[in-house]
Amino acid sequence: MKMLLITAACLFLFALSALGDEIMLPAGISDAEALRLGEKMYREGILPSGEPMQAIVMGDIPMDGRMFTCDDCHQRSGLGSVEGTVITWPTNGKELYKPRRKTGAWRPPEGDAEKMDDRRHLPRYWQIEDARPAYTDRSLARVLLTGVDPAGRKLNPVMPLYLLGEEDMSILVHYLKNLSVEPAPGVDDSTIRFATVVAGNVAPEDRQAMLTTLQAHIDAHNSQSRHQERRSASGPFFKTEMYQAYRRLQLDVWELHGPEETWPAQLENYYAQEPVFALVGGLASGSWRPVHEFCEQHKIPAIFPLTGFPVVAESDWYTLYFSKGLYQSGEAAARFLHAREGLADDAQVVIVFRENAESAALRQGFAESWRRFSRPEPQYVPLGPDDRPTGQFWLDIVRTHRPAVLILWLGAEDLGGMDTLAGEEAVPTIFLSSEMLRYSFNSVPEGLRESAYLTYPRNLPETWGKRMLPVSRWLQARDIPVTNLEIQAKMYFLGWMLPGAIGYMRSEFFRDYFLEGFDMMVDQDYAIAVYPRLTFGSGQRYASKGCYIVQLTGGPDPRPVPQSDWVIH
Amino acid sequence: MRTIRYLFLLPFFLPALFVLLAGQVEAAPKYKRSVEKYTVPDVTLINQNGERIPLRSLLEGDKPVILDFIYGTCTTICPVLSIGFSHFQKQLGADAGNVRLVSISIDPDNDTPQVMKEYLARYNAREGWDFLSGKREDVIRVMKAFDAYVVNKMNHYPLTILHAPGSRHWIRITELLGSSDLMREYELLLKK
Repeated sequence: MKMLLITAACLFLFALSALGDEIMLPAGISDAEALRLGEKMYREGILPSGEPMQAIVMGDIPMDGRMFTCDDCHQRSGLGSVEGTVITWPTNGKELYKPRRKTGAWRPPEGDAEKMDDRRHLPRYWQIEDARPAYTDRSLARVLLTGVDPAGRKLNPVMPLYLLGEEDMSILVHYLKNLSVEPAPGVDDSTIRFATVVAGNVAPEDRQAMLTTLQAHIDAHNSQSRHQERRSASGPFFKTEMYQAYRRLQLDVWELHGPEETWPAQLENYYAQEPVFALVGGLASGSWRPVHEFCEQHKIPAIFPLTGFPVVAESDWYTLYFSKGLYQSGEAAARFLHAREGLADDAQVVIVFRENAESAALRQGFAESWRRFSRPEPQYVPLGPDDRPTGQFWLDIVRTHRPAVLILWLGAEDLGGMDTLAGEEAVPTIFLSSEMLRYSFNSVPEGLRESAYLTYPRNLPETWGKRMLPVSRWLQARDIPVTNLEIQAKMYFLGWMLPGAIGYMRSEFFRDYFLEGFDMMVDQDYAIAVYPRLTFGSGQRYASKGCYIVQLTGGPDPRPVPQSDWVIH
Repeated sequence: MRTIRYLFLLPFFLPALFVLLAGQVEAAPKYKRSVEKYTVPDVTLINQNGERIPLRSLLEGDKPVILDFIYGTCTTICPVLSIGFSHFQKQLGADAGNVRLVSISIDPDNDTPQVMKEYLARYNAREGWDFLSGKREDVIRVMKAFDAYVVNKMNHYPLTILHAPGSRHWIRITELLGSSDLMREYELLLKK
């Protein structure tokens, strides 16, 4: 197979010299089909035949295209990336088919170059020729085969040389030519429009907490502390790119009412009326799934919605969550137990729960991790709507099932009578969720605290106050009432991150590139008060990776004491 | 004046100088390479199978070691380093088990055993290539011990470190390597 590819690539290289500048798609392949096939090559390294692409990297290492795809370096947007010492240039159609200037991707809008006065240019004797002329289909095919660009420069050997035949090359070239060409909807010459979703019966104080904090950040951006609009018209040449990229921000509020099934239609309606570039924040009384799916469908980034019920899907792309919510706590419980010395491989785990969204997410997170560790399936004991556990109920559970671990994905109101277990000869390890107990720990009987462990997915009390202080002060300085400090702290963080991602785009207003701005962010542990740290990376969609497992101190005012690291492997 | 007086000798020395330099250029690697002394910290990390691995036992054992620092969602540098490891194992064939390849995560929060296992599968890793993660503090200790610490993982740089069993010295290479370069370094390591 590889020999065939090499032969085809050599023949194609030979034929290139005889071809015109444009390469035609193979007969019978529509534009749309070519884009689909090209995307598979670009993102997955798979040829239209289904075989992996083959290439040579670093001069002499043959590689399978699935190991190292085009979008690894050039990113999904095609706008490129910078990682350590390696700079990856844009490969989107808009940049490839224009000469590359020395200043980077930016160039003045059409017609603006003539209008600019001398102050906006480098002095003539410092002006440099373009780094390379515009690519044509033919020169693009040549650089992919040989690593030599139209200016005759040899690319860094980290750029693979692809063994592609004529048809496959025409499809890839077609894809690149059409990649990130038209700026996304929701942006014009003066404004980037965002929306935040408020769905279902959200508490008014939570709604206010989110909207006032977000709006304060947007007002700060629009106040133009650097006089961006004035400077974009008259600033010096070396600031032109930065200031011309400046846009005011507009925040729309998309209120969704009625049952969840009607939310997609309401979202479509809002979007049709006034398209937005991205969603920021957001609150929903139930699952975030309808909004998540709407964003996937329209390829709209949604940054940090406030939900305990995110969609946990490793391959979805457009929503960046703070965490996996309660699912993550379930995962943490499983990881902690699995790593615990002395827990037999076939240890019996019993999970008592009520049928609701919180326990469902916790169960799913626990079960999926537990299965991954090849542990036996837990036994589930559901409580009916009228069941009120008593001391006898708990004794029966322990005496009948003899669990090594008893997991209670229950609220505080269901723990009545638990203290009877304290008298048992063999008390199992008990697991609870701080979120389901609403962080009110008195409901955990003192006699069981030595055996009881809790998931605790946020900063510990000893750091919580210190980390919240700057948020409170910031809100106070803007006369914003504190109605839900946790929500406000999360939106405070989002507000600090947003300008970074917007600035990262420069004037390249593509949604994938905006998301890449978050992907490339430094791990954060100072502007975030709720979590010990948030970490980012290409395609990482859950910024908080951790959850403490804690035990409680004795006495009437129990404090959580960590028994694990923030991240448990 | 004295210098000028001897300038007439230059035509005789220049060819010899060229020959000498040409020889040196031929022998010298095209990448940045240095010999260092490192002390492996006493930490226990976790590998792609979820096994707890004392780092010293892995790096100071009876096999040559080739070490790099990568992370699972890295965009450019790590995939190229890993393609290098993958091809190196393939070239060694049945002898791949004679050398220990170790990749240490610089994004331990995200690089769980599951992520690391999938990563190694993507590169067709064979027995003898371990991907290690662990407590953030421990990973930072390891990075600092090998002078590989960067505050922001996006600022990392290609780093490959080689060590022969029993040696006090470690070969440090701070550029991406081609296949023949890595093989040459490995063969040099075995000769010592």
